[in-house]
Amino acid sequence: MAQSAQGIQTLLEAEKEASKVVATARKYRVQRLKDARTEAQKEIEALKAQKNKEHADFEKQYTGSTDDIVSKANADTETQLKEVTAAYNRNKAQVIDKLLAGIVNVQPQIHQNAKQVKRAA
Amino acid sequence: MAGRLNDNEVAQEMSKMVSFIKQEALEKAREVKIKADEEFNIEKAKIVRQETVAIEAFYQKKMKQAEVQRKIAQSNHVNKCRLKVLQARQQVLNELLAEARSRLVEISNDRSKYQTLLKDLILQSLYQLMEREVKVNCRQKDVDLVKEAIEQAKQAYEKEVGSSPHVVIDEANPLPEKSAGGVVVSAHEGRIRVSNTLETRLELLAEQMLPDIRILLFGPSENRKFYN
Repeated sequence: MAQSAQGIQTLLEAEKEASKVVATARKYRVQRLKDARTEAQKEIEALKAQKNKEHADFEKQYTGSTDDIVSKANADTETQLKEVTAAYNRNKAQVIDKLLAGIVNVQPQIHQNAKQVKRAA
Repeated sequence: MAGRLNDNEVAQEMSKMVSFIKQEALEKAREVKIKADEEFNIEKAKIVRQETVAIEAFYQKKMKQAEVQRKIAQSNHVNKCRLKVLQARQQVLNELLAEARSRLVEISNDRSKYQTLLKDLILQSLYQLMEREVKVNCRQKDVDLVKEAIEQAKQAYEKEVGSSPHVVIDEANPLPEKSAGGVVVSAHEGRIRVSNTLETRLELLAEQMLPDIRILLFGPSENRKFYN
């Protein structure tokens, strides 16, 4: 009977070893799940950095072109302002003469309804 | 019962059982590991995909916002430029009117022409008022010319209307010294007034003539579509 006791002992030890092996595997699984998260985060960070850079490059390119538009608009405005003063100097005499002529040109006119009053009188 | 198997056979059976147990364990462990790796990949891919979508959306939004900002800034700038030009035109116009105003005094230098002008101004004012009793305000230095002009105006008025108003010069309240000339004709103690001074005529005329002045000074508008 001592043999069977020993045999049971051996089997029990084997079971213990077996369950240790399985437990290790399960621990591995748990670790893998955690790893999934951290690995994913790493990839995401890399992606974010890349996107950020792309965005920054895009912005830089665009602000460049906007500045061009702005400076062109400014140049146009300068031209127009110069034209305003030039046109003024060219034409002001004409306008002033027209105004003065209009002031002196008085056309006294009796109101058209009032004319009938005169006829009645 | 110990008689059926001898010791060697027992030992053999034992080791068979032990290796069976071990084998089972190894297979189970392998399954678990394989499953774990699969789940690792799935989970990782899921997380990455979720975040990728979020990141894309985020940067799209940022780009759109930036675009809108840019358009707003551009539009503001264009508006400011337009305003600059308009302000310049307004300023130039003001200068022009100021100069015209300063030249008004020249009109009263030609006495005979000024006399006729006064007569016409008074006549026009009388026609506007159609009153029997009127008062005339003029510059102190014009009083003599105005007296003459009043007589001429009354004659013309009588021809048209048939009656002659009673016109008095208000010498107590003359037009200011620096006025360019003209008259103010009023009735009913100043309750009805016709201001026919050269300055008021200039103001009225300038305002009415603004469209024409614009065309004369700066040319017709390039963007205007409707003229009726």
